[in-house]
Amino acid sequence: MTFTLRRRQFAGVAAVLAATLVTSTACSGDGNDNASGNNSNTGGTIELTVDTFGNFGYNALFKQYEAAHSNIKIKPRNVVRLDDYTPRLQQWLAAGSGAGDVVALEEGILVQFKNQSDKFTNLLDHGAASMQGNFLDWKWELGKAKDGKLIGLGTDIGPLGMCYRTDLFEKAGLPTDRDEVSKLWSDWNAFIDTGKKFAAANTGAKFIDGANAQFNTVLIQEAGKSLGYTYFDKDDKLVFDSNPAIRTAFDTVVRMMQEGLSANLASFTPEWAAGFKQGSFAALACPSWMLGIIEDNAGADGKGLWDVAAVPGGGGYWGGSWLAVPSQSKHQAEAADLVKFLTSPESQLAAYEAANTFPSTTKFYKDAAITEHKDDYFNEAPVGKIFGEGAEQVKPVYLGEKNQNVRQEVENVLLAIGQGSLSPDQAWQRAIDAAKSAAR
Amino acid sequence: MTVMSWTKTAPEARPERGGRRGGAGALWRATPLTHLTLAVGLALSVFPIYWMIIVATRTNDVVGDVPPPVTPGSNLDENVVRLFGTESAHFAKGLLNSAIASGAVTVSTVFFCSLAGFAFAKLRFRGRNALLVVIIATMMIPVQMGIIPLYMMMVELGWNGHLQAVVVPFLVTGFGVFMMRQYAAQAVPDELIDAARVDGCSTFRIYLSVVVPALRPAAAVLGLFTFMQTWNEFMWPLAVLNPDNPTVQLSINQLASAYHNDYTLMFTGTAIATVPLLVVFVLFGRQIIGGIMEGAVKA
Amino acid sequence: MRVRARPADTAGVADSDTRAGVAGRAPADAPQRHKSTYAGSEAPATRRTSTYGARAREWLDRADVKFSPYAYIAPFFLLFTVFGLFPLGYTFWVSLHDWELVGGREFSGLDNYRLILTDASFWNAVVNTMGIFVIATVPQLLVALLLANALNRRMRGSTVYRMGVLVPLITSTVAVAIVFTQLYGRDFGMVNWLLGLVGVDPVDWPAHKWSSWIAISTMVDWRWTGYNALIYLAAMQAIPVDLYEAAAIDGASRWRQFWQLTVPMLRPTIIFTVIISTIGGLQLFVEPLLFGSGTYYGGSLGQFQTVTLYMFENAFRRNDYGYGATIAWMLFLLIVLVSVLNFMIIRRISSTK
Repeated sequence: MTFTLRRRQFAGVAAVLAATLVTSTACSGDGNDNASGNNSNTGGTIELTVDTFGNFGYNALFKQYEAAHSNIKIKPRNVVRLDDYTPRLQQWLAAGSGAGDVVALEEGILVQFKNQSDKFTNLLDHGAASMQGNFLDWKWELGKAKDGKLIGLGTDIGPLGMCYRTDLFEKAGLPTDRDEVSKLWSDWNAFIDTGKKFAAANTGAKFIDGANAQFNTVLIQEAGKSLGYTYFDKDDKLVFDSNPAIRTAFDTVVRMMQEGLSANLASFTPEWAAGFKQGSFAALACPSWMLGIIEDNAGADGKGLWDVAAVPGGGGYWGGSWLAVPSQSKHQAEAADLVKFLTSPESQLAAYEAANTFPSTTKFYKDAAITEHKDDYFNEAPVGKIFGEGAEQVKPVYLGEKNQNVRQEVENVLLAIGQGSLSPDQAWQRAIDAAKSAAR
Repeated sequence: MTVMSWTKTAPEARPERGGRRGGAGALWRATPLTHLTLAVGLALSVFPIYWMIIVATRTNDVVGDVPPPVTPGSNLDENVVRLFGTESAHFAKGLLNSAIASGAVTVSTVFFCSLAGFAFAKLRFRGRNALLVVIIATMMIPVQMGIIPLYMMMVELGWNGHLQAVVVPFLVTGFGVFMMRQYAAQAVPDELIDAARVDGCSTFRIYLSVVVPALRPAAAVLGLFTFMQTWNEFMWPLAVLNPDNPTVQLSINQLASAYHNDYTLMFTGTAIATVPLLVVFVLFGRQIIGGIMEGAVKA
Repeated sequence: MRVRARPADTAGVADSDTRAGVAGRAPADAPQRHKSTYAGSEAPATRRTSTYGARAREWLDRADVKFSPYAYIAPFFLLFTVFGLFPLGYTFWVSLHDWELVGGREFSGLDNYRLILTDASFWNAVVNTMGIFVIATVPQLLVALLLANALNRRMRGSTVYRMGVLVPLITSTVAVAIVFTQLYGRDFGMVNWLLGLVGVDPVDWPAHKWSSWIAISTMVDWRWTGYNALIYLAAMQAIPVDLYEAAAIDGASRWRQFWQLTVPMLRPTIIFTVIISTIGGLQLFVEPLLFGSGTYYGGSLGQFQTVTLYMFENAFRRNDYGYGATIAWMLFLLIVLVSVLNFMIIRRISSTK
């Protein structure tokens, strides 16, 4: 065997290597450039990236905007869970690149980002002041940072309701008509009593899904009625053990669990989602944005089985967002324009019809478009009326900068009670400790 | 530190025939009990994958069924369509990214590690032993040690969210260098190298002509392992990539943590994500097994 | 001068060209001998007449021999230094700070380390990690030994068995964790259904320490048992047959042979697998993550939160990178400690048998 020259082999290896390395860098580039890296270099077209979580109902609106602005192309980026969305946004802001031109900020994370107001554009510089009259006062005010910059324009609010399964109620001998059901529970004690009746009927299902939805609902109601803040006071000091609203909400939910009413499922987990289809529970507190989630989880088979009644304990809201423009965006003016469009009353109405995100602009509150709006999945429930009533009377509640962290800890503790690992007293103490370390 | 030694025999697992191959296996015949034990082991090993494929071929309602279904259904195509239509999962992109990343890392690892392995095994240079010790030491360090700064570096470079972040840090591994070195030390004959030198070849020519062919089996095993490992890599892509530019493992993770949960969708995704590796395994299983066994420690 | 090379043992040098000569040099040149730096090369050193070209060539050759090794190991060391060594040192540097990606950093010295020593959540994670590790590793290696013993026989279809037990290794950890998590579901999981068949109440697997540890351990065991079995098998096959024959003559039963002959001879291999399992087991991340529905909490009370999960929670959720880096270092120390302990224990056990 003679010794040989392998020029061909060498060329081959080098070519393959080069090709794969080039491909990896090139392919990673296409379609994923962060908005601030994207330049209007394709004949004047500007690409705006919009970062959202959950479902805002904007798809049709995006097309409408693109049709009206031929030089704008919108690229939506969506992450389903808020808890996955927030760290990414945080990292992009810290890194100075990667964030979309328009980003959604949920009420729970709003303060955290408002405190970094230097990283956001002041929408007042882009003519947002004229929109002030559209919004609920508190929604407008909350969009402002401490230094007066208008960081966000409001999108939706989350008025409260109570969703229930008509078929399971019927099985348990409870009324199924939504007005009558609403009368069953004017406050949470009555709600628990109804639950006990339901449990006694032994339908095979539990009354409520778990602790989270109910806890957050009661908490926000209680806080709205009294101090106006939850875990943190307006100076961002942790008041977990002193705010009676928290204790009330905690005790209420513990009672529900102690009466055996809860299916002990954690919200937004696979088992919880499966529970809708399998009929594991008969009711859960549903702000208007939850309707879409229920519909997705319960599927086509669930149509007509679910209905919406009034929430016990009076008004309140949970959730709701703002749209902001990070200052790292290369197209701040265009992005601000898009934000103004998306948060205009007409757009909010359209989004409402698409995704049940209740508008924060008041223009159509008395309009038939909302008051007569029915949801055919939910048994033709007049959701516009149910959620609209009292929408204007809602008082805002202050959520602190580390609200999300504390909330997650509390939800974990509640789950542990349901799982039988903690007694309520132990749980309360543990919740306090966990909140302290989460707020660190 | 234990030493992995490679024998010169081809690392193919030959099925035992007549008990000619090593050890006491030649002495004993398999009893029915043996077969039973192994069959149970086999069944347990394969069942979860089987279950995964079953659920992928059915509709979502069956997941809670009692007793659970054990035969395949006919919904696979509809589930696959739905899977690729689920925007939030970006599954197609995940598959593409994984293919690119795994391919790039594999090619690069095999090439650079065989170069370095050859150098350590057959070339003399100052500091050779010290550097080898460094490499061995690095193999013992857990991945987590570097994740945070590595992540910060990616952010600095602007690579976070892009595929480079998943490819570039892994273009060579200490394990690969070590494995190639061990193999080269035994499989590449010194005489051949000397002869080539005498012939007037440059070192790179020697590499190409002598070393590469000799290292082929080990390179194949290293390539297979690297491909599998990169394809299955999860922790680092989770930290550094974004949900809209995922690898296939991230993609399945997104399916599993979406608001609306659909087990059939999840399992269809996991099934498809596993198929390439299963194919590789079926094609190259013998080499893989051989590689594992040849690399096992000797007393 | 051409040299007939001996064919290599493995895949041969398949030659397509048969040209002697060196890349980049004129083919008309006669091959040159130069001083080889390799021992054993006895080629007499002849020199050509010193033309300018020849001297340059000589210099190039020498440079090639001297420097090419460094060129070959350079890619590895370059990449490794940038992406391997530097982050390691940097982790330590980060752990000395109160470092938030967004808020900037503040040097805090060893504060993080002081904090971690009294951090109940951290030690909870350590206990979880160790517990899962022990439950996973001990049965797994025992079963692997038995499996290897079973495989170490003459039989037909051994390849099928070998490939079969290895299949778990190649499936993706994410996929497997998802499947197993569903199997262990509280309401609709197959395991609870099977338990129900024998009259046991459904277990809320993620809810308690013991149940979640078992569930996660089964995931790990399922994956690695086959791999370890093959490693043991290879080592077993290296044990000389005469030892067994001698033992059999001495009247030792198969069982005794196994425990008193096979296992002690397997000691280095067992040590190797224990150490590898330790390093892997203490870093457990994917399985507990997916068992907890993709959250870093490891259950409502952190009942299965491993150290790596805790690190991720602090670094990527709470934005506390300094503390996260501290956890990483503690993990490293833990791994070293446990590996050393393992090494000593196994040596003790094997030698007293």
